[in-house]
Amino acid sequence: MSAVSVRRLGRTGLGLVSLGLPLAMFVLLSARAPDFFGLQNIANVNSQITALLIVALGQLVVALIGGIDISVGSVVSLTSVLLVLVDPALAVPAALGAACAIGLANGIGVAFFNVHPLIMTLATMTFVQGLALLFVSSAGGTAPAAVVMLARASFGGFPAAFFWCVLAIGVVSIILYKSRFGLRVFAIGANAQSAALSGAGVSGPRIACYILCSLAGAVAGIYLTGRIATGDPTLGQAFGLDSVTAIALGGVQLSGGVGSVAGAVLGTITLGLIANGMNLLGVSPFFHAVVTGCLLLGAISLQRRKVIGV
Amino acid sequence: MSLLALKERSAAHPAGRTPKVEFRNITKRFDSTEALSVVSFAGMAGSVHAITGENGAGKSTLMKLLAGVYPPDSGEILFDGRAIRFDSPAAARAAGVSTVFQELTLLPNLTIAENLFLGREPRRFGFADRSAMRRQAHAVLQRVGVDLHPDVTCGDLAIAEQHLVEIAKGAAAQADIVIYDEPTAALDAPGVDKLARLIEDQRRAGKLVFYISHRLDEIFRLCDMTTVLKDGKHVRTCPTADLTHDALVSLMVGRELARLYPERGAKPSTAEAALRVTDFVARPGGAAVSFAVARGEIVGLAGIEGHGQREIIRALAGLAPHMAGGALKFDRDGSAKPLGGSIVATARAGVGFVPEDRKTEGLYQPLSIQENIGLGMLRGASMMARAKIDRNRVRALMQQMNVRARDDRQSVSSLSGGNQQKVMIGRWLASGVDVLLIEEPTRGVDVGAKAEIYRLLRAFVDAGGAALITSSELTEHIGLCDRILIIREGAIVAELAGEEATEETVMSYALIGRPPERASR
Repeated sequence: MSAVSVRRLGRTGLGLVSLGLPLAMFVLLSARAPDFFGLQNIANVNSQITALLIVALGQLVVALIGGIDISVGSVVSLTSVLLVLVDPALAVPAALGAACAIGLANGIGVAFFNVHPLIMTLATMTFVQGLALLFVSSAGGTAPAAVVMLARASFGGFPAAFFWCVLAIGVVSIILYKSRFGLRVFAIGANAQSAALSGAGVSGPRIACYILCSLAGAVAGIYLTGRIATGDPTLGQAFGLDSVTAIALGGVQLSGGVGSVAGAVLGTITLGLIANGMNLLGVSPFFHAVVTGCLLLGAISLQRRKVIGV
Repeated sequence: MSLLALKERSAAHPAGRTPKVEFRNITKRFDSTEALSVVSFAGMAGSVHAITGENGAGKSTLMKLLAGVYPPDSGEILFDGRAIRFDSPAAARAAGVSTVFQELTLLPNLTIAENLFLGREPRRFGFADRSAMRRQAHAVLQRVGVDLHPDVTCGDLAIAEQHLVEIAKGAAAQADIVIYDEPTAALDAPGVDKLARLIEDQRRAGKLVFYISHRLDEIFRLCDMTTVLKDGKHVRTCPTADLTHDALVSLMVGRELARLYPERGAKPSTAEAALRVTDFVARPGGAAVSFAVARGEIVGLAGIEGHGQREIIRALAGLAPHMAGGALKFDRDGSAKPLGGSIVATARAGVGFVPEDRKTEGLYQPLSIQENIGLGMLRGASMMARAKIDRNRVRALMQQMNVRARDDRQSVSSLSGGNQQKVMIGRWLASGVDVLLIEEPTRGVDVGAKAEIYRLLRAFVDAGGAALITSSELTEHIGLCDRILIIREGAIVAELAGEEATEETVMSYALIGRPPERASR
């Protein structure tokens, strides 16, 4: 049985790099930065990575079916704008509804019109970003009080960010590992044609994955807007590609079928620790991007590509 | 339904029983080729029904219609006397059709249990019930006699094990109709025995089993009814007991050769070899083959699909590495160049390779005829040389090959299959190679274009070239080739002169490795 469980790691994509990288970062930072282990700093890292984590989990779902969604960052921005524009009572439903529509458009384009996911989501990314800037040209407005409270409060000594993370990880884990839908996501990602021949529908789950990813973007947008308490039409700009970086660091394969929630979490933590560590060590933020790029290339080269179907 | 078919059916099935499945006037085309043409016959519950015929007879296509992979163009399929129409494999499965496809459909990143129940996972509170899945998978694996743990990831299994799991997947579905498409291709003897027991159980349980195969031994061992298809047409449906090996073979091949093929050239007096292959092993653990192709000669590698012809020709072309042995290409001045290193080296040695799939491997679809042929003319030119294409030569070649196109600027993707094939061969003719390796020279090409392609190839060898072809069409080997090498399980089991070969002898060698009984008697 133990041999079996080791083998099952194959489809998680977890390997030495995705597990070792955050650990190495942890050890390095605790040795070099005395403030690192402070409770305040840990809470900081947590709240800094929460939004990226939620988006990365959405990106994970899309990557598992062999897609990519770079429009999710624009969804974060649009959400932020909607939260300050729309009546507070309707703001959250409006943001979630808009996300559903964007995800539906992405999904239909990819599943029915065979548009390449990169092009499809590039188009929606551009469109939605433009829309957000049309509504509000610069940061401003006031976020609904309830949203601010949910993002900033703390419960039993834990910051709200912690609960947002736990909830997001829990929901996505249940979807991927417990539901029938989740099994089909892995199947379609490995080989859509075989999955169809086995009697699993393909188009429906594909569309659902893009909707889930956009919803993740909306949830991240709600959290971030609550934290800064104001609307920002460019709030999510970095998230589209950062979320791809995060899951790639976590061993998720963009060709589909291989990846895990744990991988998305570890990849996000790695990115968070890099940012936090450089900050603590007083390194220029521009250098941060240089390091992230090198790390991504190095990590991906070291991960033996799990070839599916050969 | 034709009277004849009606008569046959009532003879085969005692009156009063409605057939479980009935095909009525089924027709299916792909592009310009008719894969199935007005096929009608029926299958009864509680029987094992063989569907057989040569490569490309339409066996798999027919079963894929039943499995909901695609719909028929005309005609209807009746279940228990009621017309049905499936728009997806899922719908066919829900209606009780379970299919073991020829190509593996297992997903390598899922476990055996997940694969067995994909698409109809047992559920509890709306979630996938994994413990039930594991339990049921275990039961199914035991029933089939496969000793594997349900939690093993399928990608980690050996190919033969994957095929057994694929069979178990067919058995796991509670279906009334089970289709097996060439299930034994990758099975060893114990695996075949397991399958035979499973099929017998399914027959006893009153299911209708369709068994696609061209392995005669298996048909006579397992099946009580046999349907023979040929060139997409129904030939006969009758009880297997009414047939002998020889009768079945002649049903499978019975067809007259039209005057489709050009006259063979005079036998070259001095057999000047253009290609010599020595102890060549194309796939791991495969047999070694040795043969030569002389100038003025077209040689065919014949056999059932999957017996290694493709591997040999692809390794010779340098697309795949070979395990042992070697191949030499001789120029007219007698100098020899080794073959089988890389595709670039092959072209440099003056050998052209025409792949079977012109859409993805052979042509530059969006480019024009002129550019596709011109790329052959530029062979050997420096990368920085000015890429000037001699359009007059292209036009002359198009005229010579009778390519039907508006002009030489038309894009290749808009041409018919036959004209695309001519352009692909034309590219090598323009490049001045004197040896051609050709896979499926006329796949998906209509009869008129076939005749023209045969003429082109014959003219090519008459001018001192040499050609080696693979084809899944027996008649093509017999009509076109000067010599036929018959491959079975990777080895050459016979060499026949094209004039002497008949479909019966070639099929017999390809299927059972010996000449038909009548001839040996």
